[in-house]
Amino acid sequence: MHNMSRTLLTALALTLLCTAAAFAAADPASPVKLTEKPAASSMLLAYGDVDIWDETGQIIKKPAGGDKMTQSDIAAQTPDPLEGWNRMWFTFNDKLYFWALKPVAQGYGAVIPERPRIWVGNFFHNLMYPVRFVSLMLQGKPSAAAVETSRFIGNTAFGLGGLADITADSKPFKPIGSTEKDLGLTFGYWGAGNGLYLVWPFLGPSSGRDTLGYAGDYFLTPTSYIHPWYWSIATKGYDKINEVSMRIGDYETLKDASVDPYEAVRDAYLRNRFKKIND
Amino acid sequence: MKMKRFALILSTLLLTACFCSTALAGEPQDRLKVGIDNVIAILSDASLKGPAKRAERQAKLRTVADGFFDWRELSRRAAAEGWKKFTPQQQDDFVTSFSELLQKTYVRKLEKYNNEKVAFLSEQIADNQAFLKTQVAMKDKTIPINYVMIKHDKWMVYDVVVEGVSLVKNYRTQFAKILSKDTPDALIQRIKEKIKSLDAGKNVDDVAS
Repeated sequence: MHNMSRTLLTALALTLLCTAAAFAAADPASPVKLTEKPAASSMLLAYGDVDIWDETGQIIKKPAGGDKMTQSDIAAQTPDPLEGWNRMWFTFNDKLYFWALKPVAQGYGAVIPERPRIWVGNFFHNLMYPVRFVSLMLQGKPSAAAVETSRFIGNTAFGLGGLADITADSKPFKPIGSTEKDLGLTFGYWGAGNGLYLVWPFLGPSSGRDTLGYAGDYFLTPTSYIHPWYWSIATKGYDKINEVSMRIGDYETLKDASVDPYEAVRDAYLRNRFKKIND
Repeated sequence: MKMKRFALILSTLLLTACFCSTALAGEPQDRLKVGIDNVIAILSDASLKGPAKRAERQAKLRTVADGFFDWRELSRRAAAEGWKKFTPQQQDDFVTSFSELLQKTYVRKLEKYNNEKVAFLSEQIADNQAFLKTQVAMKDKTIPINYVMIKHDKWMVYDVVVEGVSLVKNYRTQFAKILSKDTPDALIQRIKEKIKSLDAGKNVDDVAS
Protein backbone atom coordinates (compact mmCIF):
# COMPACT_ATOMS: atom_id res chain seq x y z
CA MET A 1 0.00 0.00 0.00
CA HIS A 2 2.66 2.42 1.04
CA ASN A 3 4.82 1.66 -1.89
CA MET A 4 2.02 2.20 -4.31
CA SER A 5 1.09 5.53 -2.86
CA ARG A 6 4.70 6.63 -2.99
CA THR A 7 4.89 5.70 -6.65
CA LEU A 8 1.71 7.58 -7.36
CA LEU A 9 2.89 10.62 -5.47
CA THR A 10 6.13 10.59 -7.38
CA ALA A 11 4.18 10.41 -10.58
CA LEU A 12 2.11 13.36 -9.48
CA ALA A 13 5.13 15.36 -8.50
CA LEU A 14 6.60 14.59 -11.89
CA THR A 15 3.45 15.84 -13.54
CA LEU A 16 3.59 19.10 -11.62
CA LEU A 17 7.25 19.53 -12.38
CA CYS A 18 6.71 18.98 -16.05
CA THR A 19 3.81 21.38 -16.19
CA ALA A 20 5.89 24.05 -14.59
CA ALA A 21 8.98 23.37 -16.65
CA ALA A 22 7.85 22.53 -20.13
CA PHE A 23 6.01 25.17 -22.11
CA ALA A 24 6.84 24.50 -25.69
CA ALA A 25 7.52 21.48 -27.89
CA ALA A 26 5.68 18.21 -28.30
CA ASP A 27 2.52 17.72 -30.25
CA PRO A 28 -0.72 18.70 -28.65
CA ALA A 29 -2.44 15.46 -27.98
CA SER A 30 -6.12 15.20 -28.53
CA PRO A 31 -7.90 12.01 -27.61
CA VAL A 32 -10.21 11.57 -30.53
CA LYS A 33 -13.21 9.41 -29.99
CA LEU A 34 -12.64 6.43 -32.15
CA THR A 35 -16.02 5.86 -33.61
CA GLU A 36 -19.29 7.64 -33.46
CA LYS A 37 -21.39 4.72 -34.49
CA PRO A 38 -24.03 3.95 -31.92
CA ALA A 39 -25.37 0.49 -32.42
CA ALA A 40 -28.88 -0.58 -31.57
CA SER A 41 -31.81 0.56 -33.60
CA SER A 42 -33.99 -1.41 -31.24
CA MET A 43 -33.50 1.24 -28.60
CA LEU A 44 -36.10 3.38 -30.30
CA LEU A 45 -39.58 2.43 -29.50
CA ALA A 46 -41.40 5.66 -29.65
CA TYR A 47 -42.56 8.14 -32.16
CA GLY A 48 -43.48 11.75 -31.67
CA ASP A 49 -45.64 13.30 -34.36
CA VAL A 50 -43.19 16.17 -34.47
CA ASP A 51 -39.86 14.36 -34.53
CA ILE A 52 -38.46 12.09 -37.23
CA TRP A 53 -35.09 11.40 -35.64
CA ASP A 54 -34.01 10.83 -32.10
CA GLU A 55 -30.99 12.57 -30.57
CA THR A 56 -28.48 10.37 -32.35
CA GLY A 57 -30.05 10.62 -35.78
CA GLN A 58 -31.74 7.23 -35.68
CA ILE A 59 -35.12 7.21 -37.33
CA ILE A 60 -37.84 6.88 -34.72
CA LYS A 61 -40.05 3.95 -35.55
CA LYS A 62 -43.75 4.42 -35.36
CA PRO A 63 -45.25 2.11 -32.79
CA ALA A 64 -48.80 0.94 -32.81
CA GLY A 65 -49.50 2.41 -29.41
CA GLY A 66 -48.46 5.93 -30.37
CA ASP A 67 -46.07 6.59 -27.54
CA LYS A 68 -44.46 9.93 -28.24
CA MET A 69 -41.17 9.45 -26.45
CA THR A 70 -37.66 8.46 -27.44
CA GLN A 71 -35.51 6.40 -25.08
CA SER A 72 -33.66 9.55 -24.20
CA ASP A 73 -36.95 11.15 -23.17
CA ILE A 74 -37.65 8.18 -20.93
CA ALA A 75 -34.24 8.59 -19.31
CA ALA A 76 -34.93 12.30 -18.83
CA GLN A 77 -38.13 11.43 -17.01
CA THR A 78 -36.30 9.71 -14.19
CA PRO A 79 -38.27 10.48 -11.03
CA ASP A 80 -36.97 13.13 -8.70
CA PRO A 81 -38.70 12.40 -5.40
CA LEU A 82 -36.02 14.19 -3.38
CA GLU A 83 -36.29 17.40 -5.38
CA GLY A 84 -36.09 19.74 -2.38
CA TRP A 85 -33.05 17.96 -1.02
CA ASN A 86 -31.44 17.81 -4.45
CA ARG A 87 -32.06 21.49 -5.04
CA MET A 88 -30.33 22.26 -1.78
CA TRP A 89 -27.18 20.43 -2.89
CA PHE A 90 -27.48 21.94 -6.34
CA THR A 91 -27.31 25.37 -4.74
CA PHE A 92 -24.41 24.25 -2.59
CA ASN A 93 -22.46 22.97 -5.61
CA ASP A 94 -23.30 26.10 -7.54
CA LYS A 95 -21.81 28.28 -4.80
CA LEU A 96 -18.87 25.94 -4.52
CA TYR A 97 -18.23 26.38 -8.21
CA PHE A 98 -18.48 30.15 -8.30
CA TRP A 99 -16.82 30.90 -5.00
CA ALA A 100 -14.07 28.30 -4.87
CA LEU A 101 -13.58 26.02 -7.86
CA LYS A 102 -13.83 28.62 -10.59
CA PRO A 103 -11.51 31.26 -9.06
CA VAL A 104 -8.92 28.62 -8.21
CA ALA A 105 -9.15 27.07 -11.68
CA GLN A 106 -8.90 30.50 -13.29
CA GLY A 107 -5.81 31.36 -11.26
CA TYR A 108 -4.29 28.00 -12.07
CA GLY A 109 -5.13 28.44 -15.76
CA ALA A 110 -3.51 31.88 -15.73
CA VAL A 111 -0.24 30.45 -14.43
CA ILE A 112 -0.10 27.17 -16.34
CA PRO A 113 -0.52 27.36 -20.11
CA GLU A 114 -3.08 25.26 -21.86
CA ARG A 115 -0.79 22.64 -23.31
CA PRO A 116 0.64 21.39 -20.00
CA ARG A 117 -2.88 21.37 -18.62
CA ILE A 118 -3.85 19.06 -21.46
CA TRP A 119 -0.94 16.81 -20.47
CA VAL A 120 -2.15 16.71 -16.89
CA GLY A 121 -5.61 15.85 -18.18
CA ASN A 122 -4.09 13.03 -20.26
CA PHE A 123 -2.18 11.77 -17.26
CA PHE A 124 -5.27 11.46 -15.09
CA HIS A 125 -7.30 10.05 -17.94
CA ASN A 126 -4.65 7.41 -18.52
CA LEU A 127 -4.62 6.64 -14.82
CA MET A 128 -8.34 5.88 -14.87
CA TYR A 129 -7.70 2.95 -17.18
CA PRO A 130 -8.86 0.29 -14.67
CA VAL A 131 -12.35 1.80 -14.60
CA ARG A 132 -12.61 1.70 -18.37
CA PHE A 133 -11.08 -1.76 -18.67
CA VAL A 134 -13.32 -3.39 -16.08
CA SER A 135 -16.42 -1.65 -17.44
CA LEU A 136 -15.71 -2.72 -21.01
CA MET A 137 -15.07 -6.32 -19.91
CA LEU A 138 -18.30 -6.36 -17.92
CA GLN A 139 -20.11 -5.09 -20.99
CA GLY A 140 -18.74 -8.02 -22.96
CA LYS A 141 -16.55 -5.91 -25.23
CA PRO A 142 -13.17 -7.63 -25.03
CA SER A 143 -11.80 -6.04 -28.20
CA ALA A 144 -12.56 -2.54 -26.91
CA ALA A 145 -10.98 -3.50 -23.59
CA ALA A 146 -7.93 -4.76 -25.46
CA VAL A 147 -7.64 -1.50 -27.38
CA GLU A 148 -7.86 0.41 -24.10
CA THR A 149 -5.15 -1.82 -22.67
CA SER A 150 -2.78 -1.23 -25.55
CA ARG A 151 -3.44 2.49 -25.32
CA PHE A 152 -2.69 2.39 -21.62
CA ILE A 153 0.54 0.50 -22.16
CA GLY A 154 1.57 2.70 -25.07
CA ASN A 155 0.81 5.96 -23.30
CA THR A 156 2.36 4.87 -20.04
CA ALA A 157 5.54 3.44 -21.51
CA PHE A 158 6.15 5.81 -24.39
CA GLY A 159 4.04 8.83 -23.47
CA LEU A 160 5.93 9.82 -20.33
CA GLY A 161 3.68 7.96 -17.97
CA GLY A 162 0.53 9.08 -19.73
CA LEU A 163 1.29 12.78 -20.09
CA ALA A 164 1.21 12.48 -23.84
CA ASP A 165 -1.69 10.77 -25.53
CA ILE A 166 0.43 9.23 -28.25
CA THR A 167 -2.15 6.62 -29.15
CA ALA A 168 -4.94 9.12 -29.86
CA ASP A 169 -4.51 8.90 -33.61
CA SER A 170 -4.11 5.15 -33.85
CA LYS A 171 -7.40 3.67 -34.86
CA PRO A 172 -8.22 0.00 -34.45
CA PHE A 173 -9.04 -1.97 -37.58
CA LYS A 174 -12.51 -2.74 -36.44
CA PRO A 175 -14.67 0.05 -35.02
CA ILE A 176 -15.10 -0.53 -31.32
CA GLY A 177 -17.37 2.25 -30.12
CA SER A 178 -16.56 4.65 -27.34
CA THR A 179 -14.29 3.33 -24.62
CA GLU A 180 -15.22 6.10 -22.19
CA LYS A 181 -17.11 3.84 -19.83
CA ASP A 182 -17.66 3.57 -16.11
CA LEU A 183 -19.64 1.21 -13.94
CA GLY A 184 -22.76 3.40 -13.92
CA LEU A 185 -22.82 3.22 -17.72
CA THR A 186 -22.17 -0.52 -17.52
CA PHE A 187 -25.23 -1.05 -15.31
CA GLY A 188 -27.16 1.08 -17.78
CA TYR A 189 -25.83 -1.05 -20.65
CA TRP A 190 -27.13 -4.12 -18.84
CA GLY A 191 -30.53 -2.49 -18.80
CA ALA A 192 -30.68 -0.94 -15.35
CA GLY A 193 -32.68 2.27 -15.15
CA ASN A 194 -31.58 5.36 -13.31
CA GLY A 195 -33.81 4.67 -10.34
CA LEU A 196 -34.00 8.21 -9.10
CA TYR A 197 -32.21 11.45 -9.74
CA LEU A 198 -29.76 12.52 -7.06
CA VAL A 199 -27.46 15.47 -6.52
CA TRP A 200 -24.42 14.89 -4.33
CA PRO A 201 -22.42 17.62 -2.66
CA PHE A 202 -19.03 18.07 -4.41
CA LEU A 203 -19.77 15.31 -6.94
CA GLY A 204 -22.75 16.93 -8.63
CA PRO A 205 -25.65 15.35 -10.51
CA SER A 206 -26.04 11.59 -10.29
CA SER A 207 -28.70 8.93 -10.11
CA GLY A 208 -29.37 5.86 -8.02
CA ARG A 209 -27.67 3.68 -10.61
CA ASP A 210 -24.75 6.02 -11.16
CA THR A 211 -24.20 6.38 -7.43
CA LEU A 212 -23.74 2.63 -7.14
CA GLY A 213 -21.47 2.76 -10.15
CA TYR A 214 -19.50 5.59 -8.62
CA ALA A 215 -18.98 3.61 -5.44
CA GLY A 216 -17.57 0.76 -7.51
CA ASP A 217 -15.45 3.12 -9.61
CA TYR A 218 -13.96 4.48 -6.41
CA PHE A 219 -12.22 1.16 -5.79
CA LEU A 220 -10.97 1.02 -9.37
CA THR A 221 -9.51 4.52 -9.22
CA PRO A 222 -5.79 4.41 -8.43
CA THR A 223 -5.88 7.84 -6.79
CA SER A 224 -8.27 6.45 -4.16
CA TYR A 225 -5.38 4.40 -2.77
CA ILE A 226 -3.05 7.27 -2.06
CA HIS A 227 -2.13 7.28 1.59
CA PRO A 228 -2.91 9.23 3.77
CA TRP A 229 -6.47 10.07 2.73
CA TYR A 230 -5.98 13.80 2.49
CA TRP A 231 -3.38 13.33 -0.23
CA SER A 232 -5.87 11.21 -2.10
CA ILE A 233 -8.48 13.97 -1.82
CA ALA A 234 -5.89 16.58 -2.80
CA THR A 235 -4.91 14.62 -5.90
CA LYS A 236 -8.50 14.21 -6.97
CA GLY A 237 -9.10 17.86 -6.24
CA TYR A 238 -6.16 18.81 -8.42
CA ASP A 239 -7.48 16.65 -11.24
CA LYS A 240 -10.85 18.39 -10.89
CA ILE A 241 -9.33 21.87 -10.92
CA ASN A 242 -7.25 21.02 -13.96
CA GLU A 243 -10.37 19.76 -15.71
CA VAL A 244 -12.45 22.78 -14.73
CA SER A 245 -9.71 25.10 -16.02
CA MET A 246 -10.35 23.65 -19.49
CA ARG A 247 -14.11 24.07 -19.27
CA ILE A 248 -14.70 27.47 -17.77
CA GLY A 249 -17.77 29.01 -19.30
CA ASP A 250 -19.71 25.86 -20.12
CA TYR A 251 -21.68 25.73 -16.90
CA GLU A 252 -22.13 29.50 -16.96
CA THR A 253 -23.71 29.36 -20.40
CA LEU A 254 -26.06 26.56 -19.46
CA LYS A 255 -27.06 28.39 -16.33
CA ASP A 256 -27.48 31.77 -17.99
CA ALA A 257 -29.48 30.37 -20.85
CA SER A 258 -31.88 28.36 -18.74
CA VAL A 259 -35.05 29.51 -17.09
CA ASP A 260 -34.75 26.89 -14.37
CA PRO A 261 -31.06 25.92 -14.07
CA TYR A 262 -31.76 22.97 -11.79
CA GLU A 263 -34.11 21.38 -14.33
CA ALA A 264 -31.75 22.23 -17.19
CA VAL A 265 -28.80 20.50 -15.51
CA ARG A 266 -30.93 17.53 -14.55
CA ASP A 267 -32.23 17.06 -18.09
CA ALA A 268 -28.76 17.51 -19.58
CA TYR A 269 -27.19 15.04 -17.16
CA LEU A 270 -29.76 12.31 -17.73
CA ARG A 271 -29.74 12.65 -21.51
CA ASN A 272 -25.98 12.85 -21.74
CA ARG A 273 -25.57 9.72 -19.62
CA PHE A 274 -28.12 7.93 -21.77
CA LYS A 275 -26.17 8.84 -24.88
CA LYS A 276 -22.92 7.59 -23.35
CA ILE A 277 -24.46 4.21 -22.55
CA ASN A 278 -25.07 3.64 -26.26
CA ASP A 279 -21.93 5.24 -27.63
CA MET B 1 -35.16 -9.72 -75.35
CA LYS B 2 -37.68 -7.04 -74.72
CA MET B 3 -37.64 -7.93 -71.10
CA LYS B 4 -33.89 -7.49 -70.98
CA ARG B 5 -33.96 -4.08 -72.55
CA PHE B 6 -36.69 -3.03 -70.21
CA ALA B 7 -34.60 -4.16 -67.27
CA LEU B 8 -31.65 -2.21 -68.59
CA ILE B 9 -33.67 0.97 -68.96
CA LEU B 10 -35.20 0.51 -65.56
CA SER B 11 -31.86 -0.01 -63.88
CA THR B 12 -30.40 3.02 -65.67
CA LEU B 13 -33.31 5.09 -64.49
CA LEU B 14 -32.95 3.83 -60.96
CA LEU B 15 -29.26 4.52 -60.92
CA THR B 16 -29.80 8.03 -62.25
CA ALA B 17 -32.41 8.59 -59.59
CA CYS B 18 -29.94 7.46 -56.95
CA PHE B 19 -27.22 9.77 -58.20
CA CYS B 20 -29.60 12.68 -58.44
CA SER B 21 -30.80 12.28 -54.92
CA THR B 22 -27.27 12.17 -53.56
CA ALA B 23 -26.42 15.23 -55.59
CA LEU B 24 -29.43 17.10 -54.25
CA ALA B 25 -28.86 15.90 -50.71
CA GLY B 26 -26.41 18.69 -50.04
CA GLU B 27 -28.96 21.48 -49.75
CA PRO B 28 -29.57 21.62 -46.00
CA GLN B 29 -25.89 21.03 -45.35
CA ASP B 30 -24.94 23.86 -47.70
CA ARG B 31 -27.27 26.20 -45.85
CA LEU B 32 -25.87 25.19 -42.49
CA LYS B 33 -22.32 25.44 -43.74
CA VAL B 34 -22.84 28.96 -45.07
CA GLY B 35 -24.33 29.95 -41.72
CA ILE B 36 -21.48 28.50 -39.72
CA ASP B 37 -18.88 29.94 -42.10
CA ASN B 38 -20.46 33.38 -41.73
CA VAL B 39 -20.35 33.10 -37.94
CA ILE B 40 -16.69 32.08 -38.05
CA ALA B 41 -15.90 34.90 -40.50
CA ILE B 42 -17.35 37.46 -38.09
CA LEU B 43 -15.56 35.94 -35.12
CA SER B 44 -12.19 35.91 -36.85
CA ASP B 45 -12.58 39.32 -38.52
CA ALA B 46 -9.70 41.40 -37.21
CA SER B 47 -11.57 44.67 -37.66
CA LEU B 48 -14.33 43.43 -35.34
CA LYS B 49 -12.08 42.27 -32.52
CA GLY B 50 -11.85 43.76 -29.07
CA PRO B 51 -14.32 44.84 -26.41
CA ALA B 52 -14.94 48.21 -28.09
CA LYS B 53 -16.53 46.46 -31.06
CA ARG B 54 -18.56 44.03 -29.00
CA ALA B 55 -21.95 45.60 -29.74
CA GLU B 56 -21.31 45.72 -33.47
CA ARG B 57 -19.95 42.18 -33.54
CA GLN B 58 -22.84 40.76 -31.57
CA ALA B 59 -25.37 42.57 -33.75
CA LYS B 60 -23.80 40.97 -36.82
CA LEU B 61 -23.79 37.53 -35.23
CA ARG B 62 -27.46 37.88 -34.46
CA THR B 63 -28.29 38.83 -38.02
CA VAL B 64 -26.51 35.70 -39.21
CA ALA B 65 -28.23 33.55 -36.59
CA ASP B 66 -31.64 34.94 -37.56
CA GLY B 67 -30.83 33.89 -41.11
CA PHE B 68 -30.50 30.22 -40.34
CA PHE B 69 -32.40 29.58 -37.10
CA ASP B 70 -36.14 29.12 -37.28
CA TRP B 71 -36.99 30.67 -33.91
CA ARG B 72 -40.71 30.13 -34.24
CA GLU B 73 -40.38 26.43 -34.98
CA LEU B 74 -37.84 26.07 -32.18
CA SER B 75 -40.05 27.88 -29.67
CA ARG B 76 -43.16 25.99 -30.71
CA ARG B 77 -41.44 22.67 -30.15
CA ALA B 78 -39.92 23.78 -26.88
CA ALA B 79 -43.31 24.86 -25.59
CA ALA B 80 -44.76 21.56 -26.88
CA GLU B 81 -48.18 20.93 -25.32
CA GLY B 82 -48.17 24.41 -23.83
CA TRP B 83 -48.06 26.06 -27.25
CA LYS B 84 -51.71 25.20 -27.99
CA LYS B 85 -52.80 26.94 -24.82
CA PHE B 86 -51.05 30.18 -25.73
CA THR B 87 -53.04 32.96 -27.40
CA PRO B 88 -51.51 34.20 -30.70
CA GLN B 89 -50.28 37.26 -28.84
CA GLN B 90 -48.62 35.08 -26.20
CA GLN B 91 -47.07 32.92 -28.90
CA ASP B 92 -45.45 35.93 -30.52
CA ASP B 93 -44.29 37.26 -27.17
CA PHE B 94 -42.89 33.89 -26.25
CA VAL B 95 -40.96 33.52 -29.52
CA THR B 96 -39.50 37.00 -29.19
CA SER B 97 -38.37 36.69 -25.60
CA PHE B 98 -37.18 33.08 -25.81
CA SER B 99 -35.11 33.72 -28.94
CA GLU B 100 -33.68 36.82 -27.30
CA LEU B 101 -32.58 34.76 -24.30
CA LEU B 102 -30.95 32.15 -26.53
CA GLN B 103 -29.20 34.70 -28.68
CA LYS B 104 -27.89 36.63 -25.73
CA THR B 105 -26.38 33.65 -23.99
CA TYR B 106 -25.13 31.65 -26.94
CA VAL B 107 -23.69 34.63 -28.80
CA ARG B 108 -21.72 35.35 -25.65
CA LYS B 109 -20.52 31.75 -25.69
CA LEU B 110 -19.53 31.98 -29.35
CA GLU B 111 -17.29 34.91 -28.48
CA LYS B 112 -14.93 32.39 -26.91
CA TYR B 113 -14.35 30.88 -30.36
CA ASN B 114 -10.74 29.89 -30.75
CA ASN B 115 -10.26 28.44 -34.21
CA GLU B 116 -12.07 25.21 -33.50
CA LYS B 117 -12.69 23.24 -36.66
CA VAL B 118 -16.13 22.06 -37.66
CA ALA B 119 -16.41 18.78 -39.58
CA PHE B 120 -19.62 17.76 -41.36
CA LEU B 121 -20.14 14.05 -40.92
CA SER B 122 -23.49 13.09 -42.35
CA GLU B 123 -26.85 14.29 -43.50
CA GLN B 124 -30.25 12.61 -43.54
CA ILE B 125 -33.28 14.08 -45.23
CA ALA B 126 -36.92 13.06 -44.91
CA ASP B 127 -39.64 15.19 -46.47
CA ASN B 128 -39.01 18.73 -45.34
CA GLN B 129 -36.74 17.85 -42.44
CA ALA B 130 -33.06 17.10 -42.19
CA PHE B 131 -30.73 15.74 -39.54
CA LEU B 132 -27.07 16.72 -39.78
CA LYS B 133 -24.18 15.41 -37.77
CA THR B 134 -21.16 17.57 -37.18
CA GLN B 135 -18.16 17.46 -34.93
CA VAL B 136 -16.25 20.32 -33.38
CA ALA B 137 -12.60 19.62 -32.59
CA MET B 138 -11.64 21.28 -29.32
CA LYS B 139 -8.11 21.36 -27.95
CA ASP B 140 -8.51 18.25 -25.82
CA LYS B 141 -11.57 16.54 -27.22
CA THR B 142 -14.13 16.50 -29.99
CA ILE B 143 -17.73 17.41 -29.35
CA PRO B 144 -20.50 15.91 -31.45
CA ILE B 145 -23.10 18.49 -32.43
CA ASN B 146 -26.18 17.52 -34.44
CA TYR B 147 -28.49 19.98 -36.15
CA VAL B 148 -32.11 19.34 -37.01
CA MET B 149 -33.45 21.45 -39.85
CA ILE B 150 -36.84 22.10 -41.43
CA LYS B 151 -37.82 23.65 -44.74
CA HIS B 152 -40.77 26.00 -44.82
CA ASP B 153 -39.42 28.26 -47.50
CA LYS B 154 -35.72 27.86 -46.74
CA TRP B 155 -33.86 25.22 -44.77
CA MET B 156 -33.64 26.49 -41.20
CA VAL B 157 -32.21 24.98 -38.03
CA TYR B 158 -34.74 24.33 -35.26
CA ASP B 159 -32.82 22.11 -32.87
CA VAL B 160 -29.22 21.59 -31.84
CA VAL B 161 -28.17 18.39 -30.09
CA VAL B 162 -24.89 18.65 -28.18
CA GLU B 163 -23.48 15.45 -26.65
CA GLY B 164 -26.89 13.83 -26.78
CA VAL B 165 -28.67 16.78 -25.18
CA SER B 166 -31.31 18.40 -27.38
CA LEU B 167 -31.72 22.13 -26.88
CA VAL B 168 -35.43 22.01 -27.63
CA LYS B 169 -36.05 19.11 -25.30
CA ASN B 170 -33.95 20.61 -22.52
CA TYR B 171 -36.25 23.64 -22.59
CA ARG B 172 -39.32 21.48 -23.03
CA THR B 173 -38.52 19.92 -19.66
CA GLN B 174 -38.11 23.32 -18.02
CA PHE B 175 -41.18 24.90 -19.64
CA ALA B 176 -43.42 21.93 -18.97
CA LYS B 177 -42.51 22.11 -15.30
CA ILE B 178 -43.21 25.85 -15.09
CA LEU B 179 -46.42 25.60 -17.10
CA SER B 180 -47.70 22.83 -14.86
CA LYS B 181 -47.84 25.33 -11.99
CA ASP B 182 -48.02 28.71 -13.70
CA THR B 183 -49.76 30.58 -16.49
CA PRO B 184 -48.20 31.20 -19.92
CA ASP B 185 -47.88 34.88 -19.01
CA ALA B 186 -45.90 33.98 -15.91
CA LEU B 187 -43.54 31.89 -18.04
CA ILE B 188 -43.00 34.71 -20.52
CA GLN B 189 -42.48 37.08 -17.61
CA ARG B 190 -39.86 34.74 -16.17
CA ILE B 191 -37.97 34.62 -19.44
CA LYS B 192 -38.06 38.41 -19.64
CA GLU B 193 -36.78 38.73 -16.10
CA LYS B 194 -33.93 36.39 -16.90
CA ILE B 195 -32.97 38.57 -19.87
CA LYS B 196 -33.15 41.66 -17.69
CA SER B 197 -30.89 40.20 -15.06
CA LEU B 198 -28.42 39.06 -17.74
CA ASP B 199 -28.37 42.61 -19.08
CA ALA B 200 -27.66 43.86 -15.60
CA GLY B 201 -24.73 41.43 -15.68
CA LYS B 202 -25.31 40.12 -12.20
CA ASN B 203 -26.83 36.77 -12.73
CA VAL B 204 -23.91 34.49 -13.14
CA ASP B 205 -23.29 33.73 -9.57
CA ASP B 206 -26.66 33.80 -7.96
CA VAL B 207 -28.68 30.69 -7.97
CA ALA B 208 -32.07 31.00 -9.53
CA SER B 209 -34.56 28.89 -7.65
